[in-house]
Amino acid sequence: MSTSMHLNRLRKWFLASPPIEFAISRIRELLVGAIKQGPVPRHIAFVMDGNRRFARTHGIETVEGHNLGFEALARILEVCYRSGVKVVTIYAFSIENFKRSKFEVDALMEMARVKLAQMAQHGEILDRYGAKVRVLGRLDLLRPDVLAAVNQAVDMTSNNGDCVLNICFPYTSRDEITGAVRDTVAEYSKPLRSIGSPPPGSRTPFSESHIALNIRAQSQNTKGEDTNSDLDSTSESSTQGEDGPAPRRDTSKVYESGSSFSSSTTLHLGANPDGSNMKTVAAGKLMYPSPETITRQTLTSHLFTKDCPPLDLLIRTSGVERLSDFMLWQCHEETEIVFLDVLWPEFDLWHFLPVLLGWQRRVSNMRKNPDAEGNFDGTPEISEEDTDKSR
Amino acid sequence: MVSSRDSALLRKDTRSRGQKLSASDRESILRPYLPEPSELQRRPLGRRKKSTIRKTPIRTFLKSQVHLLVYTLIHLFFGIAVRLLQTYHAVLDRIFALVYYHHRTPELIRKDVKNLDRLPEHLSVILSLRKEEDALAVLMDEVAELVAWTASAGIPVLSIYEKTGLLKSCIPLLHEIITAKLSSYYGSPTQQPTLRLFAPHHSIYQPEEGPSKPSADKSNNDTVTVLLLSATDGRETFVDLTKTLAEMSQNGKLSPEDITMELVDAEISEITTHPSEPTIRSSIHDREDSDSDVPLKSEPDLLLVFGPLLKLDGYPPWHVRLTEMFCTGDNSNNMNGSGGSVEYQGFLRGLWHFAGAQMRFGR
Repeated sequence: MSTSMHLNRLRKWFLASPPIEFAISRIRELLVGAIKQGPVPRHIAFVMDGNRRFARTHGIETVEGHNLGFEALARILEVCYRSGVKVVTIYAFSIENFKRSKFEVDALMEMARVKLAQMAQHGEILDRYGAKVRVLGRLDLLRPDVLAAVNQAVDMTSNNGDCVLNICFPYTSRDEITGAVRDTVAEYSKPLRSIGSPPPGSRTPFSESHIALNIRAQSQNTKGEDTNSDLDSTSESSTQGEDGPAPRRDTSKVYESGSSFSSSTTLHLGANPDGSNMKTVAAGKLMYPSPETITRQTLTSHLFTKDCPPLDLLIRTSGVERLSDFMLWQCHEETEIVFLDVLWPEFDLWHFLPVLLGWQRRVSNMRKNPDAEGNFDGTPEISEEDTDKSR
Repeated sequence: MVSSRDSALLRKDTRSRGQKLSASDRESILRPYLPEPSELQRRPLGRRKKSTIRKTPIRTFLKSQVHLLVYTLIHLFFGIAVRLLQTYHAVLDRIFALVYYHHRTPELIRKDVKNLDRLPEHLSVILSLRKEEDALAVLMDEVAELVAWTASAGIPVLSIYEKTGLLKSCIPLLHEIITAKLSSYYGSPTQQPTLRLFAPHHSIYQPEEGPSKPSADKSNNDTVTVLLLSATDGRETFVDLTKTLAEMSQNGKLSPEDITMELVDAEISEITTHPSEPTIRSSIHDREDSDSDVPLKSEPDLLLVFGPLLKLDGYPPWHVRLTEMFCTGDNSNNMNGSGGSVEYQGFLRGLWHFAGAQMRFGR
């Protein structure tokens, strides 16, 4: 027991001695420079998990654990930006985390405020290196003084452009998606100008009356109400086009149109080409943009991460293997998700390197033979990266 | 890397909430660690490139050559390590596959999961269509196997995600194949668990040939619900929802402020938890027994990915919020198929992992 402690001390002393420290930092620099030679993910997200457990296992205060976690973040950010990653998104605080003890929440808020305020003092350095800080999430849930620090830091760096650090501060992905839906709806409810023509029938896999019911009840509705509301929903949707089956129809019919349904929904990616773009309500009323022009891109462009490149890599530490409401929309397609069994304060280049190397390996393999496994729709991000490099 | 002396200084500063050091103090600590500004500025502006970085051309060139060499070397060794690891896992997988085999016996499968602390209530699996000619047949067989294992393990809900949605277009055939597979596991229809197979916007499929619901003499009261998902149930569903909501808002039936997370959740969950009613006529009849149905859990507890790496590949995003994910790893070492093959040992490893247990050799 005591020998291991002594050994540990000796190790620490050894690692902290100037020549060794110098050598390690040289090796790190070399490795980072080497990573830069290959393809590098453009957007990485981290879930910084394990600060509390680290504090518990090492017998220090939770707040100290968070401080060490911040240091780990600084280390990793250095590695990322030096090796050419453009955007790093970190999960700093979940909306759910407000449920933690008041002491801890306050300490975290204080830490964020101090760090952001300190950053604002070094505006000149940030400008020189072109780093841009953005805070994603429900800023209205923050304390006023923290919010002020956030705004100051974001405003100061908003004109820089090369590297971006997204801090998801009080954030959950569901909240973000809901916000995107809400904003899209709000945008499409702004009238364009007033002309009139009857509304064309449209595909409505979601029954409107059902949504109205849900608003009223906000809970699971009973079957009885369901059939009542069915009557008006079917009468409303009776003018539906062929491309979309109503939610409640004859079974066999739905099966027949099943494939065409899925293909039609996937293919309408771009905006509708012709006059159907403009939708008008009843005569003499206002004119709105047609909801049919809403695509996946529309929703994506209403997310917090709208101007970021697609997420290439998501890393979660501490061995917990779920997303915990982080970047659900962004990471559910081509993102590689990695769960590491290391607590965040311990996380360093040495854990990060194998992940990066594996990514580089797969990407270069994919580039060599694009038909091979895992590559479904010709990765566009790689071609862009190529042009990046050749510049 | 920050030296330990400087990091101690900074830590002390943090503890005192940033009071100890002034802004210029911190800057002087930081300065040695910042890269040369000239090193970075060549990227944003092409014009400045020539004037600034040509100071030490030979050194820059040598540096980049060294980095390239290191890069090549690292990847060489990393590749070897990865191959070795792959081989190791492949061998391990074979051993597990030998030790743990289901022998098409539900009792054996139940025994394998008996000691686990917890089982998922809703298991979800990502499958991928291969590129061979009989891809669909292989896929359907995999689905049938998975249904049989899930039913045997006592997991009530299984959702299968396949990107293209091909499975949804052949539900009757799939139902037939699953039933055949279940009978090879369980024997006669009365001993089989009840199968409910559906996809979003589809009703529960019931085969036409006669009343195949002998509820009286059924000795097995288990029900296994199979939900088929595809890429259209992901982002496309949100697009549809947004379209409907936008239309409602344009018609003044709803204001954007009414859109809450609860509403979106209710609407999105509806699709995957409630199969649509077959027809208006039979819905009256159906309601009698659908009352007894427990509402499905829309969020899967465990997501199994049969493949070399964890990629969601378009899986519906809303529900994976708290889902544990498990990737069976690269067990298709032969590099010809896309995605790993579905094996019982992988399925079992996922369940063991979910329960926080280690897999052992020997039952």
